[in-house]
Amino acid sequence: MSTHNETHDHAHGDEHESWHVHAHVSSVKFMVGIFATLIFLTFITVAVSRVDLGAANGFVAVLVATIKASLVAAFFMHLRWDKPFNALIFVSSFLFLGIFMLFSLDDLNTRGRIDVSNGVKVYARNGERAPGGFTPISAPEHAAGGEHGAAAAGEHAAPAGDHAAPAAHH
Amino acid sequence: MSTASTTEHDAAHGHEHPKWLAHHFDSPTQQFDSAKLGMWIFICTEILMLGGLFVAYGIFRGMEPDVFHHAHEHLNWRLGAVNTVVLLFSSLTAALAVRQSQVGDRKGTTNYLVVTLLCAAVFLCVKYVEYSAKIEHGLLPGRCFGHPGFADHCINAGASVMPAAVHGLTTRASMFFALYFMMTGIHGLHVVIGMGVLGWVLWRNLRGDFSKEYFTAVEIGALYWHLVDLVWIYLFPLLYLVG
Repeated sequence: MSTHNETHDHAHGDEHESWHVHAHVSSVKFMVGIFATLIFLTFITVAVSRVDLGAANGFVAVLVATIKASLVAAFFMHLRWDKPFNALIFVSSFLFLGIFMLFSLDDLNTRGRIDVSNGVKVYARNGERAPGGFTPISAPEHAAGGEHGAAAAGEHAAPAGDHAAPAAHH
Repeated sequence: MSTASTTEHDAAHGHEHPKWLAHHFDSPTQQFDSAKLGMWIFICTEILMLGGLFVAYGIFRGMEPDVFHHAHEHLNWRLGAVNTVVLLFSSLTAALAVRQSQVGDRKGTTNYLVVTLLCAAVFLCVKYVEYSAKIEHGLLPGRCFGHPGFADHCINAGASVMPAAVHGLTTRASMFFALYFMMTGIHGLHVVIGMGVLGWVLWRNLRGDFSKEYFTAVEIGALYWHLVDLVWIYLFPLLYLVG
């Protein structure tokens, strides 16, 4: 690592040099400077939220929060001077969180939602009809759910198809 | 460490080992790095655990931006901002506690840890004030959710294609508060656990366990505390400052 020379310095001349862990010691002034930057960025966050940027508001808020989080991780949590592998673990957790988020959003945005009142599947983004199998939960079927015995099951076996089979055992 | 194994180890390495160096580590550096590696993997699991709630937040905010904006106005952003400053400051003092430990200043470590714990207590007090106000105003999701600001006529349902049964604003706004209470609640739980961890570190520091050579627990405890701060850095703008 590039910072090894400076981190080793304090250990030289110590009689138990091998006992020392190779940890970087930051100055108090530097730490306070990071804190001041974090407070400044907090003001930015609040100020930006007062301006109406539409959908960009959320994006800017997350961006500023990520800058703040990076400062905390790099300097307060010492990742800047740590083994790069620790940083890799940290960053990878966000990578997998991103995959989690993107796949969930992609799934929801490309899938039609069930509109019960009209008995159709529609896209949430434009209200257009979406393809895909959807058996409307119509009023008669609800009523049949309340009935008992083979009569109700037999009555619905043909139109409801697969769904009638488990219902018959109730 | 048993006497037998110490002797065996001494013979193998040809020098005396400090008492805090566990038998299965070759050197203090290896022990320190292993502890940190373990902590970072734990932090990764914490992020992924909380990630589920952040993903839920992202999806529901995307579905109901107006409802989220309307609902967030019932949170007190000033109290949220105060808590942000308190947590950022506590993160600074936690980092300084580690620094003082690194340079062998036991008294300084104690002082900074005490300040960190006091900040944590202030954070929880502010949280208590916020929670009790929200519950009093009927903003606790569930059967008790019933704030007059969320009567169904307040916001037009617009282009929503939600089924009629969940069309009401009451139900939709309660999702924001469900996320608010879950996210800040789990975060608050972490603050309480963090106080326990830092309290234990403080106790060990007072007992004289740490030195310039060995301050692993101070470092690891502070890493946990910074994680609590990291989560709040995201929670504050997402919950209190919905644009």
